[in-house]
Order: sequence, then C-alpha cells, then structure tokens
Amino acid sequence: MTTARAGNAGVPPMESPPVGEAGALAWLRRSLFSTASSTAVTFVLGAAFFLLGWRFLRWSIEVANWGVITTNTRVILWGRYPEAELWRPQAAAALLGLLAALTWIVWRRAAWSRLRRPMLLAWLASPLVLSLLLRGFELPTLRTIGNNLGYFLVRPDLLPILGAVWRGPLALLLVAAVSSLNLASASGRIARALGLLPLVVLLGLNLPSAFQVVSGPAGLPIPMAVPILLAALAGWWVGRSLGRIVSRTGRGRGWKVWLWLATGVVVAFILTDFTVGRPEIDPQPVLPGVQPSLWSGIMLTMVLSTLSILLSFPLGVLLALGRTSRLPVIRYACVGVVEVVRGVPLITILFMAQVMLPMFLPMDLSIDRVLRAIAGMTLFTAAYLAEVVRGGLQAVPREQLQAARALGLSELLVTLLVLLPQALRAVIPAILGQFVSVFKDTSLVSIVGLLDLLGILGSITKQREYLGTVREVYLFAALFYFVVSYGMSAASRRLEARLGVGIR
Amino acid sequence: MTDVARIDTGNDIIVCEDVKKWFGEFQALRGVSLRVRRGEVLVIAGPSGSGKSTFIRTINRLEEHQAGRITVDGIELTHDVRNIAAIRSEIGMVFQQFNLFPHLTVMQNLTLAPIWARRWPQARAEAKALELLERVGIPEQAQKYPGQLSGGQQQRVAIARALAMEPRIMLFDEPTSALDPEMIQEVLDVMKELAHTGITMVVITHEMGFAREVADRICFFDFGLLVEIGPPNEFFNNPRHERTKLFLSQILHS
Repeated sequence: MTTARAGNAGVPPMESPPVGEAGALAWLRRSLFSTASSTAVTFVLGAAFFLLGWRFLRWSIEVANWGVITTNTRVILWGRYPEAELWRPQAAAALLGLLAALTWIVWRRAAWSRLRRPMLLAWLASPLVLSLLLRGFELPTLRTIGNNLGYFLVRPDLLPILGAVWRGPLALLLVAAVSSLNLASASGRIARALGLLPLVVLLGLNLPSAFQVVSGPAGLPIPMAVPILLAALAGWWVGRSLGRIVSRTGRGRGWKVWLWLATGVVVAFILTDFTVGRPEIDPQPVLPGVQPSLWSGIMLTMVLSTLSILLSFPLGVLLALGRTSRLPVIRYACVGVVEVVRGVPLITILFMAQVMLPMFLPMDLSIDRVLRAIAGMTLFTAAYLAEVVRGGLQAVPREQLQAARALGLSELLVTLLVLLPQALRAVIPAILGQFVSVFKDTSLVSIVGLLDLLGILGSITKQREYLGTVREVYLFAALFYFVVSYGMSAASRRLEARLGVGIR
Repeated sequence: MTDVARIDTGNDIIVCEDVKKWFGEFQALRGVSLRVRRGEVLVIAGPSGSGKSTFIRTINRLEEHQAGRITVDGIELTHDVRNIAAIRSEIGMVFQQFNLFPHLTVMQNLTLAPIWARRWPQARAEAKALELLERVGIPEQAQKYPGQLSGGQQQRVAIARALAMEPRIMLFDEPTSALDPEMIQEVLDVMKELAHTGITMVVITHEMGFAREVADRICFFDFGLLVEIGPPNEFFNNPRHERTKLFLSQILHS
C-alpha cells in the first residue's frame, strides 16, 4: 500500500497530526489542579482517602484476626463434604477449569473451529457429569439386571409397576410416543412391526393394574384403566406429530437405534428403579453417595452458579424462541412464564421452591433442597435470559431469514443456522452480564437455609474462638465475590472484543 | 423430492394464473397471469410500488399469495410444506441487499444450504463452491467474511450462493440497485454469462441496456397488474400502453 502510494506522484503528501500536551504531569495539571477551587477539592478528598486507607490498613494488620479464615479454609472451600471424598469436588473444579481453558483456546483459533461443536456438547453434558461426580452413583451389575428381569417375568406382583401408581402409565407414555414416532417415520414393514412390539409388551405389563381402582385427589375413586389409556393415547399423538416433523427433515436411520436404546434404559429405570431384587445382590456403588445436603461453602456457591448458568441458557433460548412462535398456545405459555417469573423477586422464587414445590409433587418423589434451589435459580435466570435473547432475535433483519428460506433451508435449520447465531452474537455482552449477576445472586440461598459461602461464613462467626470476627469474615466474602465477578466481566470484555471481528 | 405430485405444464416452467395478494387493506397484486418458458430470460420493469417485487416473492413463497394459482416446474404452490420445500429447491434468489450471512465466511455461505438441506458431504459442497466462486471471478475471497468485500463482490457471492443449490430458475430482485455505479457492470457481466447457460431467469431491474441485450421478453408492472409483455424490440420501440410509454420516457431520458 505505502509503496504504491509513494510511487504515485499525483498524490499530495500527508501532514502529521498536531502534537498535543502529553505526559502525566500535564494530565495532573489539567484534571486536578486547573483552578483554585479544583485544587482545594483535590486536597480535601485526597486527605480523606488517605486517612480512611491508613486506618483500614492499620486495622487489617494490627487488629484483624485473619485466623478465622486461615484455620477454616477447608470448611470455607468444601464445607461439610466428607474428607475422604474431597478429591471429587476437586476433580470437578479441575474438569471445569480445563473445559473453560480448552474452550477459550478453541474459540481463539479459526483453524480449530471444527472442535467447536464437540466443545459445545461437552458443556451441555457437563451438568450431568458434575452431578454424578459430586453426588456419586451406582451401576447395576449384570447380576442385578438378571435378577430384576427374573422377578419381572416370574413375580410381576413384586414390581413397583404395581406399587407406585404412576410408573406404569409413565413408561407406557414414553414407549407409545417412540413407537408411533417409529411408525410415522419408518418405511419397511418389518421395522414398523418391530417398533410396535415394545408397545404391545408395555400394554400387557399395564394390564394387571388396569383392573385396579385407586383413590385420586379428594378421595375420588379412579379406575387405573383411565390414566393408562390416556397415557397411551397422549404418547401416541405426540409421537405421531414428532414423526411427521422428522420425516420431513429426512435424517438417517442411526438415531432411531439410539432412541430405542435410550428409551429402553429409561423405561427399565422407571419400572424397576433397579431396586427390585434380593438385598444381597445390591447394585455396585461406583462412587459412594454424598447427599447434596452436605454440599456447602464455596463449592456450593460454584455448583449453584455453574449449574444455574448451564441449565438456564438453553431454557432461556427456548423460551425466547417460543415467544416468537406462530402457535398461540406456545407463544402465550412462554410469555406467561417469562412475565410471571420476571414479576417476582428471586428470593420469593427461592422460598417457593423450598416450601411450595414439595406440595405439588407426589409424596414419594422428594427433591433435594440444593436441587430445588438450582431449579429456582435456573427458572429465574432463564426468564431474564429469554428477554435478552428476544432482543437479539429482533435485531436480526427479516431479510436474513428470507434469504435462508429461499435457499431451501427448513424453518428449524433457518433458526439454528442463521437466526440464533446472529441473535446470540448480538447479545453476548448482556448474556455474560446476566451470568455475573447469577453468580452474585446465589448468595441469596443462604437466606433459605443453604450453607453456601455466605451461609457457611455466617456459621463460622459463631465459633466460640472466633466470636466478633464478623468484619474479617464478610470482608473476605466481599473480596471473593468481587474477584470472581471481576474476572468474569474481564473475560466477557475480551470475548466481546474478539467476536467483534468479522461480524459485519 | 420425488414424492411431490407434478402437473404437466409443457414448456412453461412457471405458470401464474390470476395471482392476488393483499397487505392488510392494500392490494399489492390485482390478478397477475404470466407463463415463463424453460430457459427464458424474463425482465420485469415497473415503478416502485408496482408489485413486481411482491410478485417474484410469491413464486418461492417468501410472500404468500391469497388467490390464484402458481405452478413451478409442475409443482403447485400450496400450504403443503413439502411442496414449498420442493419448489424452493428449484429456485435460487438474489436480493437487492445481497443478504449474505454476516457471521459466516464466503465459503460457509456457499456450502451452508448444500450441506444442511441437501446433505452433501462437506468436500463435495466445497468443491462446488470453489467452482462457482471461480465462475463469478472471486475464488481468492473464499475465506473472508462478507463485511470485508465490496458491494459488487458481495452480490457476486450471493449469486454463487444461490447457484450452489443447482436451481433451475433464478430470481433476481433488483440485483444492482444497491450498488455503487462502478460495480454494477461486474454483476451484470456475471448475469449475462449465466443467461447463456440456459437457466431460466426472472430479473427485476432498471438496467434497460441489460434488458435490451439479454432478455427474451420484457414485462411491465404497474398498480399490481401486468400491463404489457413482449420481446425487447417491440417493448422499447413500439410500446402499446400509455403507462409503458411514460415509464420508458422517464427511465430512458433520465
């Protein structure tokens, strides 16, 4: 460029810009000591700041008892998590850190863009992996499965399918949906017949309980045949509608095998809970269970914020898309959820989740307090995210969608490939800001009795040897929240700067 | 694409019969009947607001017509999603504002639809994309983003993107109206080259030089009606309607 210009005799030479006043001294004079009154204000404020800072420094060195933090480090970090299992939250933290670092690297290099989709999947799967790691889990052994199947065939009366009323219809609903999905999208005659077989089996399994009568709400007698039939019909209808959509997108067949396998596992779990069988052939615990009620400290704060962020993002996007749907039922449902949740303070939602939620759920289905808090936070964040994402959706010009449709992309692909990427890119700063406030809002769970960082710090101040260390403790809390929040904002600013390249 | 019922429309690839369209109370199309032959280059002219843009958008269902009948390559345009998909796969469209996807590179713009809608392997889609970029004269820009290209280059990419789906029909909605004057010719050259390949083209344009040189027929739209249609010679030298004469005198002497 420059050589071409230098060689071109016709272009007049450019002048250099005027040199302004520069340097620290010039800045000081200009902004702090420009007039007499400005100088006076500078001195008064400077003296005040100096005095405050000096007193604070003296307090924190001479008076403050920082032992309350240093001796309690383990409790503050991991709370009451069993000492022998501490490697698990540590591994979880390391995994998350690794994932974040990898994501950062992958998104920085255009050459690695092929790795972006696997990274996205890893993030989507991470809540499951994290909760398995932290909660622990058991795997059924081959013997347990065999044992269960034996009981299944020989002693059906022992099955929970007959005990817990909802299991049979629920399993039937699932299988009916998959069966009719299979029927609607399969082509071969054998494939269709094979797809119907599990449905027949499930109907047969439900047959014994269909003759029973249970007492429903308000003591009304309900013949079990009614919910069973309703479940079958509902499942069938859902599967058929889905099947029509799927057959239009014209995907391969591989997914169907996976769908059936997944359904098999889920149904087996619903029906048996893997708990039927002789007690001496118990499932093998892979990681011993640590109930979430034992999660506390910084670990709980991090678990709450990470899971709320990861779960609320997809939910928020779905709510935003639902709000733009052409189907009134979906649209109004999404509008309703978003507006109601946004109209209620987070603390109210957290109380509702702790107190009201159990009232709506079946007696034998108790959800842990931590999970309830996560559910509340997720719902709250998702509603706010939905509004942010909706703004992004509106920022995408309609012509973009028309161009995508004109290319022959289906509505689903238009949304996924053209609408969402542009919409989300436009609102990344707002989304990340929302995530920072989720992190800070997790401190509210200490009010509903969970021992997150604030909760555990509160209990530390009541230790006999550290009575009267409230200042130290809450200063530490403020510092922790500030460092993490500031780190998140700094990262999000860099991300914005990076994504600004090549957008338009 | 074979599961869609087709009607035999002979040598006509697009058949429109009495197409009507309203925006609220305003009637944008007041009954347009038009048959486009296979391989024909049809230029549509007319003042702004005459319904010509709405009309070609009804052909691939970017706008829905409310009365009349549209048949594309024997497939009737109905509410059936399968028919719409089949018709859109036969039609490529180029817009006034290019409408390239700003978040994707030129190469990704060209391969998006073939990979996702046609399920081509990536290598095949990229080979096709490179071939098309060479045809429109900008293979070296494949890895850039649309925002880094000039208007003329963007419009040529948009033409290549539409061609990547191997359409039989190309619709152009004022492809040169948003361009700086020095870039109009490069786009017109690509369109001329395209016209000689035998693809059916329906072009809305004010470039009467292009129309005179390339068009098989020219039609004139006004007030949502097809006023006049004929070969270029007749259209320019011997227009029958007063409205056409007035329009031509305005557009040719400005």
